[in-house]
Amino acid sequence: MAEQADAAQLLRGDDLRAIDALPSADVLVGVCALNQARSAAQVVEAAAAGLATALADWKGAVVVVEAGYRSETLDAVKSWMTARALPVPVCCVRISGPPRRSRAILGAMAIARRLGSAACVLVNAGLTSLTPEGLACLARPVLAETADCVGPAYTHTVAEGTLTTNLLAPMCRALYGRRVQQILGGCAALCQRAAARLLESEAWEGDLTEHAVEIGLVVEALTSGDRVAEAHLGRKVLDTGLTAPDLATTLAQTVGPMFRLMDKHRAVWSEIAESTAVPRIGEPSSILPEAGDVPVDRMVRAFKLGLKDLVQVWEQALQEDTLAALYPLGLASPEEFEFSADHWARVVFDFAVAHHEQRLPRDLLLRALTPLYLGRVAAFLRDMHGQSPARIPVALEAVGRAFEVEKTGLVARWR
Amino acid sequence: MQDAWSDVLVTSFRDMVERLAHVAPRLLAMVVVILIGWAAAAIVRRLTVRVFRMADLDARCARWGLTASLSRSGIGQPPSQVIGQLVFWTIFFVAILTSVEALEMPATAGMAAGVVRFLPNLVIAILVWMVGWLLANFMAQTVLIAAVNAQVALAPLIAGAVRWLVLVFAGAAALTQLGIAREMVLLTFGIAFAGTVLALALAFGLGGKELAREILESRIRKREGDNDHLTHV
Repeated sequence: MAEQADAAQLLRGDDLRAIDALPSADVLVGVCALNQARSAAQVVEAAAAGLATALADWKGAVVVVEAGYRSETLDAVKSWMTARALPVPVCCVRISGPPRRSRAILGAMAIARRLGSAACVLVNAGLTSLTPEGLACLARPVLAETADCVGPAYTHTVAEGTLTTNLLAPMCRALYGRRVQQILGGCAALCQRAAARLLESEAWEGDLTEHAVEIGLVVEALTSGDRVAEAHLGRKVLDTGLTAPDLATTLAQTVGPMFRLMDKHRAVWSEIAESTAVPRIGEPSSILPEAGDVPVDRMVRAFKLGLKDLVQVWEQALQEDTLAALYPLGLASPEEFEFSADHWARVVFDFAVAHHEQRLPRDLLLRALTPLYLGRVAAFLRDMHGQSPARIPVALEAVGRAFEVEKTGLVARWR
Repeated sequence: MQDAWSDVLVTSFRDMVERLAHVAPRLLAMVVVILIGWAAAAIVRRLTVRVFRMADLDARCARWGLTASLSRSGIGQPPSQVIGQLVFWTIFFVAILTSVEALEMPATAGMAAGVVRFLPNLVIAILVWMVGWLLANFMAQTVLIAAVNAQVALAPLIAGAVRWLVLVFAGAAALTQLGIAREMVLLTFGIAFAGTVLALALAFGLGGKELAREILESRIRKREGDNDHLTHV
């Protein structure tokens, strides 16, 4: 991982000189972009305003790190810069190598290390909901040395972030014992030590896909005993850029790194039996009842199609009783479709074991999870439909508990 | 009369003993060659299995989907054992041919040498077929999962078509390697391939309207789905 640890290896000569020309910064905001010309300037504006106003007591700088091949993002930010008097230094650089967002994140951390910054705030260039106050909420605990890693927490509807609420967060809770709300929040603040450790880490050796480093960042913080906190940033609006990947690819890019990190941290997660809450900064986040149409029928149809045609694949991943319990769901109408949280937790952990044992090519295995995930989301949304806002956190707590309970079986089967 | 009868018997018996004395060493040599061949085949089989196990072949094949394909074909043994058996029977078969040559019968002269000359082609053909089989299974599984995720109702049919297309191609390549009716294989493959493509085009255009509609609908549904209120991450 030494290659990623050094900005000199990641940046071209003129970009490196531009970084070296920046004044030293206590806080470096790395705006990590992958072809996000549409939103990058807006995010840079919020970051610069946050550094100039809410974090005025510290020296700050913003670096836009583009990992894509296209030059529109940097052009858009540069054209925005020319029209204004900048309150803090802003610099644009391009990361060499294959176009991966994870490389942009590593690049931003390497630049922070080169500048000797006490805090490195990583922001997705599509996170248009970021406000100057939000940026300060993330960075302040790190600068005050009360936290090593601060992630975001958002207010969202039940239909937003269903992969996080039904898989990533409960799995993270069960495995690593911390109730983190966001695994892929689009921003995070890290202390110098945590950033340096991540740069040296081999957690994502050979895996620099879309979300690998972002997920690795959270998991490494939880497993290394860092003081982790979450700052409430309101609603999340994320512009994903030119093309949003399809659901199967998203699953492979998010669940894949989670599963891979289980191999590395087996000694840690197998010893954890309970979970604790993560300290929250700012107002408590809330979950809003659903707003607008959610295509539950379509998701149930996708699940049933998977049950009809992918059984041969699922047989290789799921235990017999887990698979057998799926068959009755194939007969249920969308109105009476129930895919319980404990059953879902068993499915996810069966897939984790199959992934660990490499029973199938890993990418195919993860993609085969798609209909099952859609079935679970359909059942979850149907269950939440018309519920009072107070009932929603209870249901999410039940999902987290189900993963914790099913973890016992996972530990026993993991060899 | 009695003397003549006993002369015939004695002569016959003497001839038989002489022939046996002539053939017995060859028979013995044949048995020895078979026994040595069997022992050598068994030792090489054991070594082969051990080497492939050390190379973690069974786990790798499970990962590539080969083990599942083998078991679907009724072969319950792990791939390292299957290769071991193949090696055993190849060596044993050559040993049997060599032992038959030991009898020095005109009909079997040069048979073993001919078979041994043919073996490299046979091994390459088997390898080509195995790689084709592996590729066919992998591609079929990939297409099946992608089609189901795209909510195409006839996903198994499409995956099956892909599997057979790759298998036919691999089979044609293997037969060509063996030199079996090379022109006929190429011609048959060309006609079959072109025919399949034409049949698929016709079927899709005439009989597969439903499938075409479904694929287009699923694409449109996906596009519409982008605008609904569900976000996954």
